[in-house]
Amino acid sequence: MTQSYLSIEGIARRFQAPGGKGSTVFEDLWFSMNKGDFAAIIGHSGCGKTTVLNILAGLDAPDEGAVVMDGKAIEGPSLDRAVIFQSHALLPWKSVLGNVAYAVASRHRDWSRDRVRAHAERFIEVVGLKGAEHKKPAELSGGMKQRVGIARALSIEPKMLLMDEPFSALDALTRGTLQDEVRRICLETGQTVFMITHDVDEAIYLADRIVLMTNGPQACVAEIVDNPLPRDRRRLDLHKQPDFYAVRNHLIDFLVERSRTFKDGLPPDYDRRRPPVVRPAHLPPTPPDGVRAA
Amino acid sequence: MASKDTFRRFSRLFSGCACGRHRSHAEHDMAAARPAQDDAARYAGAVETAVVQALFPQAAHRRAFLKAIGGTGIAAALAPFLPLGAVTDAFAQGTGAIEKKDLKIGFIPITCATPIIMAHPLGFYSKHGLNVEVVKTAGWAVVRDKTINKEYDAAHMLSPMPIAISMGLGSNPIPFSVPAIENINGQAITLAMKHKDKRNPKDWKGFKLAIPFDYSMHNYLLRYYLAEHGVDPDADVQLRSVPPPEMVANLRADNIDGFLAPDNICQRAVYDGVGFIHILSKEIWDGHPCCSFTASQEFVTANPNTYAALLRAIIDASAYAQKPENRKGIAEAIAPANYLNAPPVVLEQVLTGTYADGLGNIKKDPDRVSFEPFPYESFAVWILTQMKRWGQVKGEVDYQGIAKKVFLATEAQKVMKEMGLNPPAATSKSFSVMGKPFDPAKPEEYVASFAIKRA
Amino acid sequence: MLPLRLRAALLSVLILVVFLLAWQGATAGFGGGGGGPATGMDPEYAKLMGLTATTGKSAMPSPVEVGRQLWAVLSDPFYDKGPNDKGLGIQLAFSLARVLIGYGIAVAVAIPLGFVIGMSPLMSRALDPFIQVLKPISPLAWMPLALYTIKDSGISAVFVIFICSVWPMLLNTAFGVASVRKEWLNVARTLEVGPLKRAFTIILPAAAPTILTGMRISIGIAWLVIVAAEMLVGGTGIGYFVWNEWNNLSITNVIIAILVIGVMGMMLDQILATVARLVTFPE
Ligand SMILES: Nc1ncnc2c1ncn2[C@@H]1O[C@H](COP(=O)(O)OP(=O)(O)OP(=O)(O)O)[C@@H](O)[C@H]1O
Ligand SMILES: [Mg+2]
Repeated sequence: MTQSYLSIEGIARRFQAPGGKGSTVFEDLWFSMNKGDFAAIIGHSGCGKTTVLNILAGLDAPDEGAVVMDGKAIEGPSLDRAVIFQSHALLPWKSVLGNVAYAVASRHRDWSRDRVRAHAERFIEVVGLKGAEHKKPAELSGGMKQRVGIARALSIEPKMLLMDEPFSALDALTRGTLQDEVRRICLETGQTVFMITHDVDEAIYLADRIVLMTNGPQACVAEIVDNPLPRDRRRLDLHKQPDFYAVRNHLIDFLVERSRTFKDGLPPDYDRRRPPVVRPAHLPPTPPDGVRAA
Repeated sequence: MASKDTFRRFSRLFSGCACGRHRSHAEHDMAAARPAQDDAARYAGAVETAVVQALFPQAAHRRAFLKAIGGTGIAAALAPFLPLGAVTDAFAQGTGAIEKKDLKIGFIPITCATPIIMAHPLGFYSKHGLNVEVVKTAGWAVVRDKTINKEYDAAHMLSPMPIAISMGLGSNPIPFSVPAIENINGQAITLAMKHKDKRNPKDWKGFKLAIPFDYSMHNYLLRYYLAEHGVDPDADVQLRSVPPPEMVANLRADNIDGFLAPDNICQRAVYDGVGFIHILSKEIWDGHPCCSFTASQEFVTANPNTYAALLRAIIDASAYAQKPENRKGIAEAIAPANYLNAPPVVLEQVLTGTYADGLGNIKKDPDRVSFEPFPYESFAVWILTQMKRWGQVKGEVDYQGIAKKVFLATEAQKVMKEMGLNPPAATSKSFSVMGKPFDPAKPEEYVASFAIKRA
Repeated sequence: MLPLRLRAALLSVLILVVFLLAWQGATAGFGGGGGGPATGMDPEYAKLMGLTATTGKSAMPSPVEVGRQLWAVLSDPFYDKGPNDKGLGIQLAFSLARVLIGYGIAVAVAIPLGFVIGMSPLMSRALDPFIQVLKPISPLAWMPLALYTIKDSGISAVFVIFICSVWPMLLNTAFGVASVRKEWLNVARTLEVGPLKRAFTIILPAAAPTILTGMRISIGIAWLVIVAAEMLVGGTGIGYFVWNEWNNLSITNVIIAILVIGVMGMMLDQILATVARLVTFPE
């Protein structure tokens, strides 16, 4: 735990409200990740997830505390950490290839044009966009745009991938395929990922650890759920996994009830620096009414 | 620019000799020691005396000044204020090598500019060794500014303009001089056709009348004419400055009731059937000056020989233009678009003095316009009295001093003599305007004698 | 039914024909189109008068006259008969050169300065009052000041073009730069793109459509201003041509100049419109 890859150490972020008095989104937030971890963060809208992600990306700075990655404090944006934006954020005047190549050329400033291009094309192929290289973002569907965003982030081969609700704007079918691809790529490359999501199933499918964030203001990490599902889980038969409902119910229970009430009745041994890790496996609870146990 | 000039004079004071004519004090002293026997030197002395007289019109002050400067010499004492050397040199060395051959001269497309313009197609500039480009200009203020800015080496201006510029009215005071008048007479009061029965100025109350520029003979003549008829030019009518080309269009559009304007504009209004000639300006003052040939003192200083050659060309051209038998040919020569850009038949009427008056009559007046270049100082004095009368200048005016400084009658005399012409013997003359005599020696009394005035 | 474009073209031609016929009718109406002097006028006197006065000919030329003169002017556009009389092509070239110099300088100033203003809220606030005061000043108001201080009419004309065409570009550039989407800037930041490269690869293309809108407004203003400025200072250029022909009360040539000015202005605008289409991106 002490030698974690990424460690968030007591960060706080405050905004100046127009009235003059400040509002604290969160404070004294602690959390860490190991190399190759896939962490998802779940919490209600406005609790500060994007703010945390922006701080990790270096696009925003905490008012207190620090984030240390790979032994160095984060002091600004870096090519080590790629961001997949919720709104894909493609440059509309560049083609698919242009968008990806822009990132590649920024990463490898000494590369020749051809090398940049070949590298970019490889990642376009990885996300399944071969043939659409010369299209402009406006000519792409939502799912294709998000794939370009993913290709762009992956092409710089970052130490860490930061994703802000990457699939929320997509239809269910596209979302599923993209989730499969992201999982495949991340497993293959051992990518460290920090992802924000509102989708409980997505978190269970993709993440190894799920961070539960209480409602803001003054949000905190309530607990960290250790995903009990096997590493070779597949999206389509996820619900057949024995521990699936245990995890799912735990998460939903948190979102419905405990995210709001958690702060009122803090467990006596609660330590902000070391949020409790729970693993809802092997403890099959009685399924809620109307849901048959598998 | 003024400061640059001042700086140059000051630096000359310290580096070279005091009068500015010699490169060092030693040379200056040597020149002073030489017996003043050549024409040039005698001439210089005369000009210096004239300038001192101009600067200190009162004998008592003059004596005090001369006493104060003691033996150092007038020119030396005055050098910081006036480029005396240059003025005299311009005429004394006038036959020397030309310093600047390629010149630009600005003009406004009206028949007053005839000598300046025709000297180009008829070859008077080249005859005197100059390569002149005559450049048409859009308005009086622009001519003034372009000449001040040295885009033009010399220019056609309304004769009150160099006086106004030298006095700093409407611009910084910059010494300008008039070595030659362009034309005598040649203007007219033109009224819209609908006023053909209102021939008495007393009926003109409420009229909107146009003049080409505030500092123009047109302004002063029209004001004079109106005031003599008991019409107050400031209270009873509206006077507007309108560029000459726009006058006919405005008359047609009924924006104005009439104008006192330079010619071909008046005749053009008749030609187009929108106006008639009420009177010629010579009926107000026969022999009045109108436009002038003007250059800045700085140009004169830097290029005395060029200036003299230019002056000879203008005087030559004026003499040619003055001959009635040449007038038709001149009309043809200056009609094309490069010069006046006007129908030849209009110019011919102006220049020959056989013209349609707009009311169905053919009138004959060979003196409708004359080209007599002599810049009488008394012209300038009269202009100054009118500036004073209408409130353009306030306070005490050094009538004679300014007149001498700007209207270079003495110098014109000299050049004309050299050219074998017959210049008037006196640099001033008296005349009468609408029957009222003007004595150039008594300008203040003259101003005071008017019933309608702003002074 | 014909396609819309064709129908619009037909309608345009129809409007033109109706306009020309009305014009011809209005100008040819009086005097029966020629003949001797008006009744009762002394023939000697009539010789001294213009056609308007003698035959009642309209001061306004007919479209046929304008067409004939237009042909004459266009068939010899580059003659040079002295400093005050040059062909329409030469005059147009003078005007275009002045416009391009003044406008070029304006572009060179407005775009970098607009970047600074757009990226810095401090500069934006500090410079705003000056811009707001200077922007609405008419070119003709600048002219005397320029002539007086610059002391050169050619440079003054260029200066007036500059000073009048700089504002729309400056404001549009500043606005375009200020409203570049935050997420695009964040993309560049996460890719560690340096400030200069960011300006050229993100902000410039993102703001280009807005900047070009400003440039189009500005070229229109510059073309308006040159005609006014040249009418004022004279010498050369299409504005001087108008003034010189007005001076001669030649309405025919003034109409020709108006046509030429209009067509040239349209061409300048179309060039920039084409560039604008090239840099515009759909979102
Ligand atoms: N620039 C800002 N100025 C003021 N308040 C801000 C700013 N950015 C975020 N906030 C506030 O901080 C809080 C957290 O915002 P954040 O965007 O991190 O929420 P989030 O958890 O990502 O929500 P969502 O799930 O809706 O995306 C919100 O209450 C928001 O109003
Ligand atoms: Mg968010």
